[in-house]
Amino acid sequence: MAVLEMKQVKKTFGTGHKKVDALKETNFHAEQGELIAVIGPSGSGKSTFLTIAGGLLSPTNGEVLINNANISTLNEKQLSKIRLKEIGFILQASNLVPFLTVEKQLKLLDKVKKDNMSKEQLEQLYTDLGIGDLRGKYPSDLSGGERQRVAIAKALYSNPSIILADEPTASLDSDRAYEVMELLKEETKSKKTTTIVVTHDIRLVDYCDKVYKMVDGVLELQ
Amino acid sequence: MFLAWNEIMKNKLRFTLIIGVLMLVAYLVFFLSGLANGLASLNREAVDKWDADAIVLTEESDQSLTQSSFAADLVDGIDADETAVLGQLNAIAQTGDQKANVSIFGIDSGEFIMPEVTEGSAFTSGNEVIAGDSLKDDGFRLGDTLSLSSTEETLEIVGFTDEARFNAAPVLYTDVETFERVKFGEEAAGTDRQISGFVVRTADLAAVTDEEDLAVIETETFIESLPGYTEQSLTLNFMIYFLFVISSVIVAIFLYVLTVQKISMFGVMKAQGIPSGYLARSVIAQTAILAAIGVVVGLGLTLLTGAFLPSAVPVTFDIPTMLIYGMVLIVVAILGAVFSVLTIVKIDPLKAIGG
Repeated sequence: MAVLEMKQVKKTFGTGHKKVDALKETNFHAEQGELIAVIGPSGSGKSTFLTIAGGLLSPTNGEVLINNANISTLNEKQLSKIRLKEIGFILQASNLVPFLTVEKQLKLLDKVKKDNMSKEQLEQLYTDLGIGDLRGKYPSDLSGGERQRVAIAKALYSNPSIILADEPTASLDSDRAYEVMELLKEETKSKKTTTIVVTHDIRLVDYCDKVYKMVDGVLELQ
Repeated sequence: MFLAWNEIMKNKLRFTLIIGVLMLVAYLVFFLSGLANGLASLNREAVDKWDADAIVLTEESDQSLTQSSFAADLVDGIDADETAVLGQLNAIAQTGDQKANVSIFGIDSGEFIMPEVTEGSAFTSGNEVIAGDSLKDDGFRLGDTLSLSSTEETLEIVGFTDEARFNAAPVLYTDVETFERVKFGEEAAGTDRQISGFVVRTADLAAVTDEEDLAVIETETFIESLPGYTEQSLTLNFMIYFLFVISSVIVAIFLYVLTVQKISMFGVMKAQGIPSGYLARSVIAQTAILAAIGVVVGLGLTLLTGAFLPSAVPVTFDIPTMLIYGMVLIVVAILGAVFSVLTIVKIDPLKAIGG
């Protein structure tokens, strides 16, 4: 079953002479349990692709379906709900709230959404990601790798169907980057989520089930 | 609340500074309200003590008790539940080296404006007075003989009463005959009793008198027309209202700067699907917490200062008024947070992730 599907999705910015086709007509689908990489140079349209997939940006044409529900026609409030419920974001710069401890980063989600992980699942997640000892610490006390692992925990905690990671390893050295990818892979397989990693780091593709390449707004399966 | 409180606890210094500013504004508001209240009672407490509905003065006195004078037998034409005669005169009282500006009230001891004696006894014969106890601070004592500026008559303090100041001067209560002798001299004795006004308690002010030369003035109007009273209270109240505006603007600026600093953080949260409403409520809650702490600390400091002030400073704290002002401060602070809320609502989550 396709968790995320894009049908003839196109995104154009500007009008007239300044018109830019950031994303040319794209068809794409991602299945449950898949770890997919989208690679390409900066400015190729990767981020546009990711933001449309994540319901942050509406396509100019076409349909985006998450779990077979069309999200292209929803308003911002409805999209916000979809993002909260279905999507976990892992961002390039750490997406942690600076004044919350690791534990409270996750607790924040309990304040706005039900059906997050149970206590046991959460303990397991802490163990899997190796961040159990960090739960009382603030993001500023963590290393880049630790922060990224907490960000992964945060993305997974709400039991999303899709994880969208935008350059999750950008601020990490190679060893840490591989470690993070390894974790993403394990979690994708064990939680049966769908993970899409957008990156320009070609070394990461070894971990992925499918690799797409984005060049000038055209998405191609490798 | 969750975000609001955790942020305050993490950035204690930053938020302590904001609370500090709010505390100082609250302190100033409370202190000014105490001063306004104290200065007001300086003028009006003897009048408030009457617990009367109105006062009857001559039409031509233009609501000034001192300028009003008429014969006491006009009381026959007065229709009120209770009536009390009142003669009033300003004078300088002196005993030994002590001098004080006083207001002499000539009253009938059987009528309702007779004050309760808190120390000593009531006047029983001529030239005895009950003095307002603020005179004690000026060095006057029971049994002192007072010479007056305008007459050869002397008065003796036989008792004290509290809350007895009229137009900033302590009141000396005495009988109408003594008042007449002080005001008009010995030759006035035996003629019709001349007084300054009738103090009345009644539900129907319009029916009090149909005498054309007399005017019925409601107590509150009478107080407002005391010399300087309205000007003074308007000035202080204007300062207080202006402080409300200032505190709103201060909070608006502080929170706006904090919010602008956190735009990308809010954007990330919105990208994750945390509703704008939750973030906005969090900012409002934060403002309410900061303002409430500032107001409570400011209130405490004000009361503490009040306890150590010399009695010459006319500050009287009226707790209900202060509570209302405190509430108003919290409300205007929250209004100041509205800018930040609008900013948060407008943040585009897309920008946060660099799309």
